[in-house]
Amino acid sequence: MQDAPPSPSPDAPTSTRRGVSVPDLLVALGVTALGVALLVGSLQIPFGINAVVGPRVFPLIVSVGMTVLGALLTVNALRGERAEPAVEEDIDPTIPAHPGSALLILGGFLLGAVLLPSLGFVLGTSIMYFSVAYAFGERRLLLILGVALALSLVTYLLFTRGLGLALPAGVFRGVL
Amino acid sequence: MEALTALFAGFETALTPINLLWALVGVTLGTLVGVLPGIGPALTVALLLPVTNQLEPVSAFIMFAGIYYGGMFGGSTTSILLNTPGESSSIITALEGNKMARRGRGAAALATAAIGSFVAGTIGTMLLTFAAPAIADVAVQISAGAKFALILLAFVTVSATFGGSPLRGLTSLALGLAVGLIGTDLQSGQARFTLGRPELLDGIEFVTVVIGLFAIGETLYVASRLRQGKPSVIRLSEGAHMNREDWRRSWKPWLRGTALGFPFGAVPAGGAEIPTFLSYTLEKRLTKHPEEFGKGAIEGVAGPEAANNASAAGVLVPLLTLGLPTSATAAILLAAFQGYGLQPGPLLFVTNTELVWGLIASLYIGNVMLLALNLPLAPVWARLLLIPRPFLYAAILVFSTVGVYSLNNSVFDLIMLAIFGVIGYGMRRFDFPVTPAIIGTILGPTAESQFRTALQQSNGDFSIFARQPLTAFIMIIVALALIVPQVIRMRAARRGG
Repeated sequence: MQDAPPSPSPDAPTSTRRGVSVPDLLVALGVTALGVALLVGSLQIPFGINAVVGPRVFPLIVSVGMTVLGALLTVNALRGERAEPAVEEDIDPTIPAHPGSALLILGGFLLGAVLLPSLGFVLGTSIMYFSVAYAFGERRLLLILGVALALSLVTYLLFTRGLGLALPAGVFRGVL
Repeated sequence: MEALTALFAGFETALTPINLLWALVGVTLGTLVGVLPGIGPALTVALLLPVTNQLEPVSAFIMFAGIYYGGMFGGSTTSILLNTPGESSSIITALEGNKMARRGRGAAALATAAIGSFVAGTIGTMLLTFAAPAIADVAVQISAGAKFALILLAFVTVSATFGGSPLRGLTSLALGLAVGLIGTDLQSGQARFTLGRPELLDGIEFVTVVIGLFAIGETLYVASRLRQGKPSVIRLSEGAHMNREDWRRSWKPWLRGTALGFPFGAVPAGGAEIPTFLSYTLEKRLTKHPEEFGKGAIEGVAGPEAANNASAAGVLVPLLTLGLPTSATAAILLAAFQGYGLQPGPLLFVTNTELVWGLIASLYIGNVMLLALNLPLAPVWARLLLIPRPFLYAAILVFSTVGVYSLNNSVFDLIMLAIFGVIGYGMRRFDFPVTPAIIGTILGPTAESQFRTALQQSNGDFSIFARQPLTAFIMIIVALALIVPQVIRMRAARRGG
């Protein structure tokens, strides 16, 4: 591995010298807390009858493991280790993150999901489509709307007519 | 020669017009999602699972196999023309291939990647043809304890042996295992971790986990750090082709890459990343043109691409013979088998001969189709890279919703999808690999059931995992796989620091 090409983040080795990163610490503590919660949950599972190994043994192993891993992550975070965000297609690791876009997508998704049964599949997923396209920086709103409706409609027809899946028609009941 | 007879029977299954059609659908879809950013073969297979309920198992798996191999072919197109690897095994291709493309040698880079992938895929499939039945013959007899040890080995190699941080890999695995615990325990009927929600009694559909972690997580993450401006895609006016000199410099790297890639895939030892790095290093040492490396050397594309595809063929060996997935896509294929009520493993070769051999035969066919699809049509695939990102990612999100909602027609599933999307976002942001979580979710319940069966056979005596020679042997390898890389890393750090 020594001959591997340079990693995308050449400053990674020095990252241990930069002081404690609060987000990294919170994630590590979160993992630990999840481990403890699982442990508490595992202890509430009854032993099970007529079984040499009941239903709680394996969950116990997993939750203890998770707690230990969380503790190790916490130690590392306190020693100043910080995670390098993943480098992927279409992202620019050098610019500051704008979590607002992600929240917009999440909000649009949840709104569309909750309204999906009553409004129907086409309008519900159109809301989702719109929020993603908008969050990705597209500002031609009528164009997004048109593409959203067209894509949702085609998908709906393809899946209900072509593949026989049942998706809610919602307000288009009787029309589609 | 038994394998050959079985393979010919497999070709009879795979060469029917309907199955050829599904193979074509698979390789086309696979290339498509390989080229497109934000969506890969694992996600595609997961998305298609609900849809394939009406399909014959053989046809479904022939399509899935096409997607699996096709994703590898398409991935190199993106790496070469866009310089952004979709997965870690394409890093090298992006490195050298993109430099080649920038020097106006894109057609040759694409050709050596495609033909190398074809050579490696075909040789890898041949090795699979002969290795798989032999391993299956042996594997029929292994005990529950040894099976548990093997699963443990897969867990450790996938999450801890390679990659940036074993701690983060293991945490991801633990998360997957915890998700796999949710629901009714099949052996005792006891509900576990359902938080009183009746929707959770059946457990969380792994499709929701996969699509949430991959598609929704990716969409959220990319949105938060989107590259400004248009991606710099290198234009391609002609189909992929190579001149005589390119052939002369490529054929040996193809074969060496294949030789490196297949065992790494088959062993199970952590996927395609390592063999591509090894192949690159090897070609750099052996080349007569060392000055070109780092500036676009064709050997640096030919070798790693072959290694990548050969390891993909290798991954199918433990999947089909032992039911052990060592990549995300393989884990989803395993779940697809389970969805059809089939358990991959040695018995599959006895009970579902037609399916297994039809699938293996279709791999040969799919490779030929992919070559035909990728060489002349390279400019068409390249144009896909120009799809505006807002519309692309929005469409991925809508298809994800369809895939999950059509499972149970339940909004609860969509909320779960959003939760796993947020977790997927956090994993990318904080450098936790996603694949171990997927493998933990899918393989966790099997691991638990083998663990408990083994202990029931021994009346609760934990020394069963040390007393059976085969089990003990695998357990020692598991321990070594956990410890040795740490020692090497610490030594390297001491020497370096």
